[in-house]
Amino acid sequence: MALLLRTFVRQGVCLARPQCGVLYRHAAPMGTTAKEEMNKFWAKNTKLNRPMSPHVTIYKWSVPMVMSITHRGTGVGLSGAISAFALAAMVLPGGFPGYLDLIHSLSVGPFLIGLAKFGISFPVSYHTLNGIRHLYWDIGKGFKIPEVYRSGYTVIVLSVIASVALASL
Amino acid sequence: MLVKYYRAKHIFPKKETGENVCVCVCVCVCVCVCVCVCVCVCVCVCVCVCVCVCVCERFTVNCIEAVKTVTLCRFLSSALLYQSTLLSRPLAVPHKYQEQSHLLTARIHASQALNAGPGSKAASLHWTAERALSILLLAMGPVAYCSPGPVIDYSLAAALTLHGHWGLGQVLTDYVHGEAKIKAANAGLFLLSTVTFAGLCYFNYNDVGICKAVALLWSK
Repeated sequence: MALLLRTFVRQGVCLARPQCGVLYRHAAPMGTTAKEEMNKFWAKNTKLNRPMSPHVTIYKWSVPMVMSITHRGTGVGLSGAISAFALAAMVLPGGFPGYLDLIHSLSVGPFLIGLAKFGISFPVSYHTLNGIRHLYWDIGKGFKIPEVYRSGYTVIVLSVIASVALASL
Repeated sequence: MLVKYYRAKHIFPKKETGENVCVCVCVCVCVCVCVCVCVCVCVCVCVCVCVCVCVCERFTVNCIEAVKTVTLCRFLSSALLYQSTLLSRPLAVPHKYQEQSHLLTARIHASQALNAGPGSKAASLHWTAERALSILLLAMGPVAYCSPGPVIDYSLAAALTLHGHWGLGQVLTDYVHGEAKIKAANAGLFLLSTVTFAGLCYFNYNDVGICKAVALLWSK
């Protein structure tokens, strides 16, 4: 149906008088959705066996870029950790305190315990603070490049401080 | 009118019913999983609620949009067709093509307004829901610290799982391409999220609970 409309419009445009040009200026037939267009792009390029143009390997790394992928990385990591925890809760026998006592009995030493706590609290605090930065963007503020860098550095510094504070609790 | 019937067909595209079946299957599977690990009824309810939240946002959007677009369609098409027939009268030959093209333009205008309706509105509402959930999760942090308990435990389980599900969904959308791969990846994600939520609820019910667990873990 979409194709039909489009062919008719093209024919119409060829045959139309100048007076009806006004109507056609605004007639942009929405034949395909964004998703369909995206799928078409990928289908065509995989069919033609085109190699992907280099991107992460050649672009200069920038603070916003690194922060963005770290946000994604921490998110995926935390999600995986929660899923692993949930799976373990269902599969492993015994209760949570039992496993804690097991870790206690290993007597790992305060430094390593502190490190482990930092390893848990840093992703949480970074993802949370950068998430707030994302929400700030979502209300439409802070898009100017100096603002982006300023908020970025603030998030990094605050998350390090917060995770150290949490780890030493 | 022809336009109305065309639009009515487009409001519920086939993929939604397919997803609906997929969701029902997943709900049944997760209910079975819960039964197998001997969890009580309230957990099954929790899981079903969680699933319905994800799905219903799409259905409510479609229902709302269906009602809106059908009524909007009637207004638009009748208004535009009326205008276009008035405009086409003073024009010279070929009459037939002119009227046809004007009618088609009216249809295109109508279809543009309507095609912009259901699909994009669902994505927009999803976006808003994602942000609302993020803010809710942010608020849950201090609440969990100040007044731990079963209510916040289950709320945290639901919010964390859903936030993770939607987040991973965006990651998949970015990196997975190809109809079949996308479907498989989304099915796998749905399974993972269901298992995660079931596991967290199980932990909340049969074990110390999320807040207490964090407190215990941090005390060592």
